Amino acid sequence: MQQQTITLTKATLLKYTLFSIAFAAITLVTIILPAEYNIDPTGVGHALGLTVFNSVEAEKISTVLSQKEAEKNKGIAKTIDIMVPAHSGVEYKFTMQQHKKLSYLWLTNGAALYFDLHGEPEGDTTGYFESYAIATSNRMEGSFTTPFTGVHGWYWKNTSENPVTVQLTVKGDYATHGLK
Amino acid sequence: MPSRLQQYCLLSLTTLFALVLPIEVFAHGVDDNTRAFLQQNTGIQIIPFLYIGAKHMVTGYDHLLFLVGVLFFLYRGRDVLLYVSMFTLGHSLTLLFGVISNIQVNAYLIDAIIGLSVVYKGFDNLGGFKQLFGKSPNAKLAVLIFGLFHGFGLATKLQEFQLPEDGLITNLIAFNVGVELGQFTALAFILLMINFWRKHSSFNHFATSTNCLLMSAGFMLMGFQLTGYFIN
Repeated sequence: MQQQTITLTKATLLKYTLFSIAFAAITLVTIILPAEYNIDPTGVGHALGLTVFNSVEAEKISTVLSQKEAEKNKGIAKTIDIMVPAHSGVEYKFTMQQHKKLSYLWLTNGAALYFDLHGEPEGDTTGYFESYAIATSNRMEGSFTTPFTGVHGWYWKNTSENPVTVQLTVKGDYATHGLK
Repeated sequence: MPSRLQQYCLLSLTTLFALVLPIEVFAHGVDDNTRAFLQQNTGIQIIPFLYIGAKHMVTGYDHLLFLVGVLFFLYRGRDVLLYVSMFTLGHSLTLLFGVISNIQVNAYLIDAIIGLSVVYKGFDNLGGFKQLFGKSPNAKLAVLIFGLFHGFGLATKLQEFQLPEDGLITNLIAFNVGVELGQFTALAFILLMINFWRKHSSFNHFATSTNCLLMSAGFMLMGFQLTGYFIN
């Protein structure tokens, strides 16, 4: 079967092709690249207000927002169930500012897990982390105060044949939390 | 178009609205909830993997653009079915092969190639290849090759999650079938719209500009992904 197409003269085809490239190039340089990567050679993206996603102001706003979020979480205890699959490890972290406190209690449904409670500084790319506690247990209760701004939380390792569920209850000054 | 196909289209349309109501369109990204699931799952999970596969297809704008290009002049049920089979063959091969043999390809490059496929289809619809070389490249072969690349892209994304070995093959097959279901849904929706539009005179008036814009969108995708490749 011969595929149906539009029939254009060579000159028209060239005109449409050049137009499509030019249109793509202009859109990329003035809109997409400024918004997505903060690359703004023409300044048009900034003039349109599209560089806000990556700018310093955006970071400030997100800090303010995360502080508000932290205030909201402060007085409320939250319980999270985390499943650690057989023969694997899971990281669960809380985003916290420096010198903030988190109280916690976690217990498994029986089996003991190797764990490393630690923090990673914000913006660090070297892989540095500071451990607050390392042990193997099926339960632990306590609190910590963050030495730096960043993500803080647990790494649990399950070496058994069956998945283990950790029930974690926390109360404190965190902004966001989740699996890492 | 047979009436059964029309019925399916309507059904899909309803499903599609239910799926995309919380509009979350992302090219090949995986959202946070899906990420959490992928990292925590154990054993065989057929339905969730089916769903992730289908969702990936229905919400991927680059893939939808390619579908619009392919279906623009293709409307006979038999041709559409043939096209879907070629694509399925392509991406199933590389998805399974990629994950099983741990092959990872740079996601930006794969996405740039998918952008290129949109450019190719737009140019082809404009009669570009016919004008320059006397004939169009084999559309089915092109779709097969695109499917192969798409499969590698999916394989790379899935491997980032270090999926548990337990039930891996079954889960991958479920994911693959989900991609097919999503594909059918998207296909039905696009077919319905294009076939409706085809009955109006505006279809012929705007065919050229539509394909020109399609090609342009493909160039944008390429530029966007290649820039990402070079700065990361």
